[in-house]
Amino acid sequence: MTRPHGVGRVLGTEHTNTREFRVAIDDDEYLQLDDLVVVRTTVPKEGEVRTYGVVTEVEAIYEGAQFESDTHRIADEGILPGAKVRSARVAVTRLEPELWVSADPGEVVERATGTERDKALYVDEMGRPLPVGLGRDGEPVFVDLDFFDGRKGGHMSISGISGVATKTSFALFFLRLLSARPDLVGDAAANLRILVFNVKGEDLLWLDKPNRHFTEDDAIAWAKLGVQPAPFPSVSLWAPPRRRSGDVVIPDTGGRQEGVAAFTWTPREFIDEGLLRFLFTDASDFRNQLAFVQERVQAQLRRYARDVEGMPGAVVLRDPGDGTDPRLPVKVHPGEPVVTDLGTLIEAIEAFLDPADGEPDPRWSGRTQGGTISAFLRRLHAAEHRLGHLIRAGESRRIDRRAAQVTVVGIQSLHDLGQRFVVGALLSETFGEKEGTGRRLPLTVIVLDELNKYAPREGNSPLKEMLVDIAQRGRSLGVLLVGAQQTASRVAPEVMENAAIRVAGRLDAAEAERSEYGWMLPSTRARARLLKPGTMVLSQPAIPVPLVLEFPFPPWATRKEEVADDGGDPFEGI
Amino acid sequence: MGQIYVEGWAPDYGSPMQTDGALAEPEKVDEDVEVAGRWAPIVGVDDGVAEVVFVDGVRRVDARLTLDDPTDGPIAGLCGTYAVGAVGWDRRAGRSTYLPSRVARLALFGSGKVAEVPVAGPRLAYRSESVAETDPAALVQRFHGAMRKAEAALSEELVRSGRFVVADGPINDLSATEKVGFIKSHRAPYLSSERRAVVARLATGQRTPLFLIGAGGAYPRYSWYFRLADVPRGHAWSGIARAEVSSRLDLATAKRVADRVAAVLPATASQPHIEPRAPQNLVPIAALERELRRLMGDPAFIYRALREAIMRDRIGSGR
Repeated sequence: MTRPHGVGRVLGTEHTNTREFRVAIDDDEYLQLDDLVVVRTTVPKEGEVRTYGVVTEVEAIYEGAQFESDTHRIADEGILPGAKVRSARVAVTRLEPELWVSADPGEVVERATGTERDKALYVDEMGRPLPVGLGRDGEPVFVDLDFFDGRKGGHMSISGISGVATKTSFALFFLRLLSARPDLVGDAAANLRILVFNVKGEDLLWLDKPNRHFTEDDAIAWAKLGVQPAPFPSVSLWAPPRRRSGDVVIPDTGGRQEGVAAFTWTPREFIDEGLLRFLFTDASDFRNQLAFVQERVQAQLRRYARDVEGMPGAVVLRDPGDGTDPRLPVKVHPGEPVVTDLGTLIEAIEAFLDPADGEPDPRWSGRTQGGTISAFLRRLHAAEHRLGHLIRAGESRRIDRRAAQVTVVGIQSLHDLGQRFVVGALLSETFGEKEGTGRRLPLTVIVLDELNKYAPREGNSPLKEMLVDIAQRGRSLGVLLVGAQQTASRVAPEVMENAAIRVAGRLDAAEAERSEYGWMLPSTRARARLLKPGTMVLSQPAIPVPLVLEFPFPPWATRKEEVADDGGDPFEGI
Repeated sequence: MGQIYVEGWAPDYGSPMQTDGALAEPEKVDEDVEVAGRWAPIVGVDDGVAEVVFVDGVRRVDARLTLDDPTDGPIAGLCGTYAVGAVGWDRRAGRSTYLPSRVARLALFGSGKVAEVPVAGPRLAYRSESVAETDPAALVQRFHGAMRKAEAALSEELVRSGRFVVADGPINDLSATEKVGFIKSHRAPYLSSERRAVVARLATGQRTPLFLIGAGGAYPRYSWYFRLADVPRGHAWSGIARAEVSSRLDLATAKRVADRVAAVLPATASQPHIEPRAPQNLVPIAALERELRRLMGDPAFIYRALREAIMRDRIGSGR
């Protein structure tokens, strides 16, 4: 039988099995890594079974050479007859119909194209296949959205060394597709909200600006994915206020000021939302009594805090036993300290825990040892120094996640402690909201790079607990985490295990050998340290082998220099 | 008609034997055909021949048979396979390729008896023949002869297509062609002691003058010794091989061929760390033998297939 796409035959010198087989490649054909193939085997009593697979290794050898020096005898001097034989190793991805038999030796191996390719990649079985890149053959590679948006699975984990700028690029690329294909995403597309933390540089502050380096070739790749290449249409940008800027609140960003809003929390918000705990996010803080003191102080703050007339967001701390309605604002007594920022809040707390004259108030200190109280206060002072500028009374400057589809929060200028505080506060707010409604839709996607900083493998912190909680329950509440990290081995395993979709870019060679990357084939692992920027390995529950894909250059800018001039429309004519 | 049985002992049992008549009567040698006086080494000349074709054959006894003849009792038989083939060494391209080869299967019985061996599978049909003798060694002799004939026929074809052929083993045909017989081992002392000393002095690429073997006999031919390689720590004749061409060629042609062989064949000499019969077992010939053995099929598989086919046949015939 003639097979138009035949590229070789199943090798018969070794056993084929249901996991893999090898192909002796025809002289005038070739196979390369990641190529998809199909073999038809006639099974007695059952008929034709098609075995689909992906090429994981390609090899060549001189047949007839017994010794290494025979290479010269064959190739230079030519006194030894020998023939070059090329073969490919194929990992089986699917059997159709599902009859677990091995491919017959000698059968013709064909390139899987068209509907055969879809079958090899299980596209025909995907509920909602979203194209997320192009395979080596230039055709789209799909992700089953059911495994991302919580129906059957949720979350995505992206690993890769830094500097190649692929992790967040891929995350944003994926989210752009998600937001641009409501036809595939279905009802989950409505009111989809994306929360992105910009932790390094200012790469993500230009998502709404066209990229001047975007070419027509890139546009063709986007077209294959079925998406009109354009920057994110709906973006709100947030940054912490610049320090020591007086009464004027200016966002603390370098390259971009326009369109960036500064965010702060008022003392009232800080207390009501229990943000105090996110000042104790160092993994070592959890081991000692500090957590106990923090919880007690938090509880007392809630009871004592009273709004101040004429000073929105500010509070005074008064004993709740004074008989007045705690919901009403109060007038400040002469000489009474008013909490208007973190510094004054700490002073007020200190007055209870460690008064200059007298004993600590046991209602606040819980009779904790003096050393612990000191440690607690020491950490508060350190926090004041590092993120005090995020808390200030006045009009509310909370981050409004409803303002746009994509909310970018720039925390790159903050100290680690400040970054953890902001991430903790926002995750808690988001998750709390969803817990309140108890519904999966609308979806909220959170993009967080350097996940190992927020949910480290070792130690414990309220932030890590929060992330583990999101990883475990977020799927049913429609809170989806797209986490990125250089080294998956340093992230809490509970967070990694719950990610249904795993993606890796170029990996450090030693890192690639770790068990966290067991989902990759050995050949893919070996190649992971050679991947180019823009090339990723993708694993999803719907397909038993990882796929290698390339994703196109983004149409949005990632640096100020890349922003296209306002005058021309770079997408005109595309 | 008798019944065939496959013997349990190994097919090759008792087969090592001298089959090329090397221990036959010493042949007459004329040492003075090229140089009548004092001998000295002659430097070979590479005339740039574009292609050298090496021809060889291999054989294997697949099974020992016994024909249980109702009248003459047990009669020895064998099933054997031989393959003959060639390697073409394209010296300009620096490539060697296998040329088409032939595989034949033969069932031989002694005492002039013939019995049909059932077909044991695809390409496992044995052509039955008989020899008059009762001695099992005669069967192997006949089998070997059949292979040699096939080799000669193949060489002849290749020579006729204009190729320069080097065939493994002595030549035994009468045609006046440039076909060279290549002999690895030195069993018969062809030269007088004085001239043997010249052989020991040959350097790689040099040859002795021609001498004529078997003048007046069935296969008169010119022969010469030449050195394939210097063998470190070997004896004086370690790297020496002998070659022959038909003496029906004129002497001038024979000399040209001898020069060519002395100059060109050392390039194909094998290495002692790789090939136990180095350097005489030439690389292309060793490769060809391996390939031909492969083409004959897996011996264990064939042995079992034969046993099974013969057993079935016997059961089928109700005996």
